[in-house]
Amino acid sequence: MIQFENVTKVYPTQKRPALNGVSVDVDKGEFVFLVGPSGSGKSTFLRLILKEEKPTKGRVHVAGKDLARLSNWKVPHLRRRIGCVFQDFRLLPNKNVFENVAFALEVIGKPRRFIRKVVPEVVELVGLEGKGDRMPDELSGGEQQRVAIARAFVNRPQILLADEPTGNIDPATSIGIMKVLDRINRTGTTVVMATHDAAIVDSMRKRVIELEDGEVIRDQSRGVYGQAY
Amino acid sequence: MRAQFVLSEIWIGLRRNLTMTVAVITTVAISLALFGAGMLINQQVSAMRGYWDERISITIYLCTESSPSKHCIENGPATDEDRNSLQADLKAMPEVASVEYVDQAAAWEDFQNRFSNRQALVEATQEGDIPDNFRVQLADPSKYERVQQSVQDRPGVDMVSNDKDVLDRFFELFDGLKWAALIVAVVQLAAAALLIGNTIRLSAYSRRRETGIMRLVGASNFYIQLPFLLEGAICGLIGGVIASGFIVATRFFLLDKIQDWFYSGVELSTGALLSVIGMSVILGVLLCTIASFLTLRRYLRV
Repeated sequence: MIQFENVTKVYPTQKRPALNGVSVDVDKGEFVFLVGPSGSGKSTFLRLILKEEKPTKGRVHVAGKDLARLSNWKVPHLRRRIGCVFQDFRLLPNKNVFENVAFALEVIGKPRRFIRKVVPEVVELVGLEGKGDRMPDELSGGEQQRVAIARAFVNRPQILLADEPTGNIDPATSIGIMKVLDRINRTGTTVVMATHDAAIVDSMRKRVIELEDGEVIRDQSRGVYGQAY
Repeated sequence: MRAQFVLSEIWIGLRRNLTMTVAVITTVAISLALFGAGMLINQQVSAMRGYWDERISITIYLCTESSPSKHCIENGPATDEDRNSLQADLKAMPEVASVEYVDQAAAWEDFQNRFSNRQALVEATQEGDIPDNFRVQLADPSKYERVQQSVQDRPGVDMVSNDKDVLDRFFELFDGLKWAALIVAVVQLAAAALLIGNTIRLSAYSRRRETGIMRLVGASNFYIQLPFLLEGAICGLIGGVIASGFIVATRFFLLDKIQDWFYSGVELSTGALLSVIGMSVILGVLLCTIASFLTLRRYLRV
């Protein structure tokens, strides 16, 4: 589903590469933790999948497509197959839960009848039934992140990328978020989650890819966060 | 299909930057009004030129006893022989359509009629002050110089005056007016384009959260940019509509005045007026949309 072939990324303003010769293969339906200290290249890894950045060297394949050969105007279609969740939720403060989720479908031109049908389903899937009319500022951090996950998942993407989704959430609430991500993973969606949260990684026992200074120093199935942290 | 969504986005964008929107619309309206006025003046003047070119005549004044010019004093007043040979030669010229002899009495009467509203001028003049003359109608008005030169130095000819010289001076004035309007219009249009750029930039900045999410969930570039482009287009359209009002006013106040001065029955048709309005509105919409588009390319990375 996601293939990195010897990928190096050097940002124009920096000498040190953000990623250095990374080769990774993520299969369909896998759940992968991307761990490593800040600046180790986790975010760059995710941005390369979205084609927000282009690799300096090497190839990235996502959902069977070579991103280097993907023309710019087709990038939106790639992104429709990838859901994204961030540490800061990125909800629209002037829209309620339903509207926030529906926004993702509206802007890719889905018909209204379809939106009315699927949005409540997804809101329920992330455990927010009965809260569809709430505004983001009326929700807890955990609940806001569930809205963000619902929005990322509502178009049934093949891949879900999560960049520190529990970074702003207390540990007890984080478990709930992880359950939602796990549920999504069980529907066959490939999940790639960058995180610092050792407790979560250790409890889930999923594949762990550890980055340090832009290089993969560990790729372990059913792994833990690691002793060093 | 999501027209409602796009329209509400535009409305929000225009309202959020209300002061900028007003500034843009005002600038666009002024510049388009000047542009339209310039175009109208241009059309009016060329229509009047055409009108007068067909009717323009040369007047050849003959020497009289009292003619002050050197040529007349040397040769004395025009004799009957001078006059007859001149008339015969004029008639023989292929450029000349018709020749009419106006004797002093008729010239004096004509003068009285023309200046009937300036009694003092009429009273200060007597019969004989206006020399007898030939009114020469040209077949091709552009050939007037040749006719003028061929009769200029003949004995008995005082001076040759061409209506065109007088009219040209006025037309030059209107040409100046036209260019002034167009130049100010261009400067204003440039300012309008910059203002629109700024407005769209503000708009894009205040909606960066939305556009960021749109990008993320895979909205097409066109879909992301459309509300901004339409925002610009609507500013241009409103500005154009306001400008149309000014253009219509120009037509009915300024141009009708000009026509009164010139006694030319050349009224601009409604079609010409509509085409100028149409051009101005289209120019406004295009300019605003293009300015928005160029701004978006810089500030809304998709």
